[in-house]
Amino acid sequence: MINTLYTQILNITSKLILTGLSVQQNYPSIKEGSIYISGNKNLSVALKNISYDKIYSILEEENNYNIKMIDGALIQLMYSFENNVLKKYRLAFFPSPNLEEFQNNSEIYEMDEIYADIIDKNIITTPIRFDYDPENYSSIDHPKSHLTIGQYTNCRIPVYAPITPNIFINFILRNFYNTAFIKFTETLNFKSSALFENCIDDKEKKILYLASC
Amino acid sequence: MLNIVRGDLKNKPVSSKQLANFFESIKSDLNGTLYIGYPIIGTSKGGFQIDALLITREKGLIAFHIEEGIDNNIDYKDIQDEIYTKINSKLLQYKELTQKRQLAINISIATFAPAWTIVIEKDDEYPCFINTSQLNQFLIPISWDKKEYYEFLLSVLQSITTIRKNKSRAYVKKDNSRGGTLKNLEESIANLDRQQSSAVIETADGVQRIRGLAGSGKTIILALKVAYLHSKHPNWLIGVTFNTRSLKDQFKNFIRIFTYEHINEEPNWDNIDILHAWGTNSSQGIYFNLCKDHDVEYLDFRDSKRLTSIYGQEFDAVCQKALNEIKKFTPKYDLIVIDEAQDFSKDFLRICYHILKNKKRLVYAYDELQSLSTKTMDSPEIIFGNDENDIPLVKLKNEADQPKADIVLDTCYRNSLEILTSAHALGFGIYRDQSLVQMFDHEQLWEDIGYKIYEGPLEPNVQVELGRDTTTSPQFLSNHSSVDDLISFKTFNDNSEQVKYVVDSIIKNIEEDELKFDDIMVINPNPLTTKSVVGAFREKLFEYGFNSNLAGVSTSPDTFYTGEAITFTGIYRAKGNEASMVYIINAQYCYEGMELSKKRNILFTAMTRSKAWLRVCGCGEGMKSLSQEFDRVKKNNFKLKFRYPTKDERAHMNIVNRDMSLEEKNILQKNTKNIDVLLEDLKSGKTKKEDLPKKQIDELKTYLGL
Repeated sequence: MINTLYTQILNITSKLILTGLSVQQNYPSIKEGSIYISGNKNLSVALKNISYDKIYSILEEENNYNIKMIDGALIQLMYSFENNVLKKYRLAFFPSPNLEEFQNNSEIYEMDEIYADIIDKNIITTPIRFDYDPENYSSIDHPKSHLTIGQYTNCRIPVYAPITPNIFINFILRNFYNTAFIKFTETLNFKSSALFENCIDDKEKKILYLASC
Repeated sequence: MLNIVRGDLKNKPVSSKQLANFFESIKSDLNGTLYIGYPIIGTSKGGFQIDALLITREKGLIAFHIEEGIDNNIDYKDIQDEIYTKINSKLLQYKELTQKRQLAINISIATFAPAWTIVIEKDDEYPCFINTSQLNQFLIPISWDKKEYYEFLLSVLQSITTIRKNKSRAYVKKDNSRGGTLKNLEESIANLDRQQSSAVIETADGVQRIRGLAGSGKTIILALKVAYLHSKHPNWLIGVTFNTRSLKDQFKNFIRIFTYEHINEEPNWDNIDILHAWGTNSSQGIYFNLCKDHDVEYLDFRDSKRLTSIYGQEFDAVCQKALNEIKKFTPKYDLIVIDEAQDFSKDFLRICYHILKNKKRLVYAYDELQSLSTKTMDSPEIIFGNDENDIPLVKLKNEADQPKADIVLDTCYRNSLEILTSAHALGFGIYRDQSLVQMFDHEQLWEDIGYKIYEGPLEPNVQVELGRDTTTSPQFLSNHSSVDDLISFKTFNDNSEQVKYVVDSIIKNIEEDELKFDDIMVINPNPLTTKSVVGAFREKLFEYGFNSNLAGVSTSPDTFYTGEAITFTGIYRAKGNEASMVYIINAQYCYEGMELSKKRNILFTAMTRSKAWLRVCGCGEGMKSLSQEFDRVKKNNFKLKFRYPTKDERAHMNIVNRDMSLEEKNILQKNTKNIDVLLEDLKSGKTKKEDLPKKQIDELKTYLGL
């Protein structure tokens, strides 16, 4: 299980480099049965109550990301296991709070249509996080697997099951790097087969939730 | 030969001039430098001005206290003591200059007070002179036997010891590895040469131009200059501007270090604005602030597309617009320093000129050839324009005993003779099968950038031979490696071969050659493809466990190198940066095609990023031909032999190889295709020439001049 996830992360990183979408990256590493980012140990970064700008720049400075995308967005892919059972994960997409470099100085970007998504002036960047955290489970208020948008404290949109790096990255690329995703369909085809059991409860199924295959 | 550097000693103009003139008269007897108004020494109470300092191989170190007035009651002995202790304590900080607990060299101090009629209380321990013949008598017996300290002492006084590469090479195990070679190169003591010292210290009111090719130390010199002038005139508001964003960090860092040398404290950043020329909506820039201060519309890069469709001229257009719209400028700065002025149009320079206060102290530094477009710099008369009486606002002339207004830095400290000459040869297309790609309109420029004329005269339509020698291309840059190791061209059949070679070489550089990640830079010359073509190289490296990054396209535009990763970069980001091992990939892009001047300039810029070794790689026929051009440079012993083109020929080149707008390119492509179709049909007989309307044929003939 761990190895499958680890291989997926390596493969994702490789393919994003190949297509020029990753400008900088850090190797994933397996330690004590969990998948971290090389050089960084903590799974959940204790960055509460500080501005998003600050969170972003700390993650960036500490190299606490797997992939830095062409528009500066940071992607984290971390899984924690105990006795081969998934304990927790954090799959995060932290876009650069400051897209000016891309929007204003875009000579380098304008020429290439794959950046069409990022240099649009009317977009506003929003962090997206998929967390799996069964320890703090509480039906509807804190679904085991959930999606948080924009760092809102109580934003936890239920997700049907824990997801794989491939499912996550497909979601990110399809929605936020669509032009590139289409242009490089052949390279960026990450198989989205499910690896984990469903974990959504019946009450949660009655509200709006996300499901994958 | 004694070099006399005239710094700023405005409160003692007459006496300091007399001192300088005296040394001017004995110039040929001494080897070293006389500094007027320099150095300023950092003490616990801020900067301490030394009036003048003489450092020569013959006489060692002599500091002068200069008196301008006639009051001979001042306690000059106390002043001399203070000068002594300040210099002494500064020099004591360097272990290289001490013996046991003492300073290894002697410091002489003398007072020069030409307006005095007599020295009261003469004392042999405190030399004091009221005329130059006394001074001469004092100098004659002084001799110095500690010549081995000279180089280091000089670098301390020039405050450049602090910038000697801090990169640790302690890990180097093999003396003859590339890492070992770099270690030796980096440990060699660097001193500023004559022109560099003048450029740092001499500043006149008005405009100063500093020309120098890549690697002549322009950026460091400008930073030294800002630090010196800021220390002398802490109240001046100084602006520093440039085109390459990553220079911002460098400037800030250098200015901080150098200011510490002078005043022992952090510069007052309220009075030093280090600003990108353009700026963005949220970060300041000269142009951004101009618009804000004068209440005119600010245009960013995307807005600028409304004004021009020519790639690379966006900033020129917005500057022109602002300049036209502003009726009355508000002077703001006491001094503006412009680096990379070759990247700017005259409108931007004029803007800088207009926002200066009445002394108009503007220093602009440039490297004509580094310009990535075919813009060339006009003369200052044209750049700055005329006043209401039609007299040029700016004329540059070096007067004999005045700070120099026009300085040429002709020595290149970055590239070896082999790399620099090859870069020039390919940049101009000297050994191309077809005609030259471009050529300086002013032949004189060749000498300015450090070339000697071996065959000439250097005039249009004359066969010339130009080359560099060790005075302008120091030998230590060349003799650490064999010629073929310094620079080589690699032609591959296809991209996968190229990828394999570059990736394997980089891995070898790190694993065997003892190079560090940030010693290596990979440059892709085509600005439009960088992100996609470097993917294959980077992915392969990643697979082998070597991390890499793509410079400058990530979020912080102000930094270039990052930690443990190999830097891949497009040409625009590479500018202003350097690395020991440079790989240029896909160099065939620069061999031929539209906008050839620009392409060759790009190749020149890419090649001159290398401090030690250069690999120019590429695929296919274009690369083969490019490589042949290089072989001819080598065969001609790194000399440039060619017939200097006439004015008409140069004009022709400029048209053929000019930059084009997208529209022009499209039209040209369309027409080329049409002709192709016609040709094919004529060849195959699908169309017979007799069938074509005679009128059209005749008109074609006329327009094509057939």
